Amino acid sequence: MRPSQRLGILGNRIPQSSYYDQHNRPAAALYRARQPYLVRNAVTGVCIVGFVAAVRGIDTWTIKAIGQDDFSDIAVPDAPAQPPHTPNASAGVRSAGSAQ
Amino acid sequence: MASKSICSRCLRLAASTPTRRIPQKPQQRAFSSTVSKQPSQERRIHHSSRQKAPEVEAQRSHVPQDIPPYTTNLGQQPSRKHEDSSERTLLQPNNLFHPFTTSPSPQIRRRAATIRQNAYCPHPDHQPTRSPIAPHDTEGRKAGVSPPAHVRHECPDCGIPVSCSEEHFASDYESHLEICDTLRQINEDDHDLVSGRFFPEFEYPPARFEEAQVNMTNWDTLLFSRGFEAVNAERSMRQVTRLLTYPITVGSVLHELSPYAFGKEGRLTPEGLRSLSALRYTLHPPRTGAGVDIKGLRPNPPPVRLFILGARAESSLPREVWVQLSHLFPRVSFHLIFIGPESMANRDDEFPLPPRTPSNPFGAIVEDRLGGQMKVSTYVEYFHTLYEAQHFAPFDPYFDAIILFHPGLGHPASSHEWSPTLPQLLATKIPIICTGYTDYDMQRDIAWVKKEAKGEMDVLLEPAENRFRSLRWDLNDLDPGDVSCGNWGVWGFRGKRYETDEYRGRDG
Repeated sequence: MRPSQRLGILGNRIPQSSYYDQHNRPAAALYRARQPYLVRNAVTGVCIVGFVAAVRGIDTWTIKAIGQDDFSDIAVPDAPAQPPHTPNASAGVRSAGSAQ
Repeated sequence: MASKSICSRCLRLAASTPTRRIPQKPQQRAFSSTVSKQPSQERRIHHSSRQKAPEVEAQRSHVPQDIPPYTTNLGQQPSRKHEDSSERTLLQPNNLFHPFTTSPSPQIRRRAATIRQNAYCPHPDHQPTRSPIAPHDTEGRKAGVSPPAHVRHECPDCGIPVSCSEEHFASDYESHLEICDTLRQINEDDHDLVSGRFFPEFEYPPARFEEAQVNMTNWDTLLFSRGFEAVNAERSMRQVTRLLTYPITVGSVLHELSPYAFGKEGRLTPEGLRSLSALRYTLHPPRTGAGVDIKGLRPNPPPVRLFILGARAESSLPREVWVQLSHLFPRVSFHLIFIGPESMANRDDEFPLPPRTPSNPFGAIVEDRLGGQMKVSTYVEYFHTLYEAQHFAPFDPYFDAIILFHPGLGHPASSHEWSPTLPQLLATKIPIICTGYTDYDMQRDIAWVKKEAKGEMDVLLEPAENRFRSLRWDLNDLDPGDVSCGNWGVWGFRGKRYETDEYRGRDG
């Protein structure tokens, strides 16, 4: 086999583009073709990442800002002495009642 | 296009492992400079005094300068035995600089002999041999009394004979230094062409599917978006753009994605937008639902006619290069018409011309087997002859355009040949795209056209550097100090358009 061919696992030839070299790195022609857009795309990428980071920051702050209030002034009643006997039925009645 | 029995990539792999020599076929269409027929005496004088690059200049040496064939390598079978690689390749890539007179290639040695016989030493101590053509022309500096001498001494850095003697070379060294690097590059590029290597850059891709847009920002984006194989080396870029500049310059102006835009920063004038919009209406036709069966029959418009006037070397470009123009415009048919007294330069094996019959009254050579979308005709006539015979009438601004590749409109040696043609070009009212070797050349052409037209012309495209100029510099064998590149600048004009206006009486 010629050394310049690339073979896959099954021995078939992997299609090669002349714009990438042996190790799949972009060749000079590809770099030159991309050159008018490199700076613009990099700036756009930075703006997008910055926008996502900003949104993420806003969201975390929002969650934090509407986080749990201070409920220490309300006395929590004790647990009842006996648990209810038919929790399912009472839960059904209760939820049906609340659905009205 | 021609079907290849072996795909180009396999062929390149087969050929690149041993360094294989491509059989040198006799050139059908060498992009080089020779004429076999002797032009008339007055034309010879005008051309020898014209400072033009050798490819478009009729050389007095009658030896063809073969460039290794970049036509398809169909004759090459990969099953052939390896040959001795050392005698197949003349020059290795790291061994491309040789002084012209001692070059390993016989063609270049002959070229050096031509230069030594014809070119004059540019030192100011000599008498001038002709009037200067440009402000930077070295003939303008000459004020001395010693008789003009042919160049003999080669610069050791660039290898091209530039002076008559070592003393003149040393005393004029500063002005030579301006072009020494360029000349060395030309030297290496010329040796590269005869080095016998494989030229993968001269394999042109076919047309792609219609929706694949072409990016016309610069050469690299164009080659990438058209699907060319990667041209990584700078030298290969120079070699390939030298040929492709002709169709791509035309395509870059006419295409709707042209880099020459309308607006404040663009170069297109409102009149240019009008003319080009009319052409683009034909060049980018809407889909018609056409198919291959009877139900898919649709009326087809006539082909877009591109009249290439004053054609010299461009008419001998390989047709694969010209067909690249039709690949930029899908579903459009083209008719390229080369007109000019020298339009058969370097096409010696196509002689004799066809006989003049009533159906072919000017003995034109018509090539129509170029893939179905392009037809090329060559007329060895002046344009005014054909115009007066109304051979191409009527001219339609939706279909026709005129292209002039470095015509030398204002050049003192050739402007008289264009004088009878210019009023006719303006009267056709179709856009005329014009290129020039240098900025000075272009400005001189524009000044000449404005003077001759007496206000009857509109500029369509402001003159400036062509984005798709040849990246390779060419040497003029008759004056080694004159380096030029093909299609350096481009501009456009057209006969003046008058609008009908309301009659407001004699005073209005």
